[in-house]
Amino acid sequence: MDIKYINPFINGLLNVCTMLGMKELKRTGLSKREKLQTEHDVNVIIGLVGGLKGNVVLSMHEATACHIASTMMGGMPVPQFDLMPKSAICELANMVAGNSVSNLQEIGSLVDITPPTLISGKNMVSMISLVETLVIQFIGAEGSFDLNIALE
Amino acid sequence: MATNHIVPFVRASVSIFRDMLDLEVRSGETEEEGDSFVSRGFTVIIGFTGGWKGRFFLDMGGETAMHVASTLTGESYSTFAEEEVLLSGAELGNIISGNAITDINNNNPGLNLRLTPPSVFTGEGLTMFNVRLSSCSVLLQTDAGPVKINVAVEEGNK
Repeated sequence: MDIKYINPFINGLLNVCTMLGMKELKRTGLSKREKLQTEHDVNVIIGLVGGLKGNVVLSMHEATACHIASTMMGGMPVPQFDLMPKSAICELANMVAGNSVSNLQEIGSLVDITPPTLISGKNMVSMISLVETLVIQFIGAEGSFDLNIALE
Repeated sequence: MATNHIVPFVRASVSIFRDMLDLEVRSGETEEEGDSFVSRGFTVIIGFTGGWKGRFFLDMGGETAMHVASTLTGESYSTFAEEEVLLSGAELGNIISGNAITDINNNNPGLNLRLTPPSVFTGEGLTMFNVRLSSCSVLLQTDAGPVKINVAVEEGNK
């Protein structure tokens, strides 16, 4: 995995989140994913095909997802993780992927994305693509979340 | 959604279950799913883009996943969260969707579908959700337990 492909994703995420009104968002870490177990119960997966092949997964806790959905809708309270926040998080992931893909195009890589799929559940074990996965951690006023990038 | 999108996937699954895993598929029933999909515990997800955009799920219970992995590797497993079980599931999903996509592309020149690498998710109470995509499932009964395949497609303008 070439590191030059990672920055477009970080910038894409920060762009979109700032645009949606998520303030104080900071990148806190970048590491290789070492275990399959994930403590996050909300995962949104988007596939990449074309110049790059792989998957991007945005993962977070249910509470964070509700907070983010609330911010996206201008502060409307989101007490439960039902269809509305699910749809909002999918849209967030879609926008992040779309923005990242247009950043990738600027460095000469044409990539197409698949529609987002949200997976929620407890005690999840996941394997994203079959390659090494890079995890980028972010923290903001809404809570912390991870962006997992697995490129072949 | 037209159910014909799922037909190549059903055909590929039946032939691969028979040839690779020695499992006969006894029956299959179609089921319309809404925008949420409840998993049996072990799901392989593969996306595709091109003339159609969408994704394919291969969903089964943990026992079935372990049976599949044992058939492929010749070893036995105590839990389906083991890496080799996940890898076997991913490989099975990859082969099935690869066959199906080849079939679709051969029959629809210019459609040019391409697959993303497989991802595997397991857990308790897994629910999948898609925006703006309605999906169709076929539940296949095999000797190792029921296996559900689900295809959701958003037709592009190509």
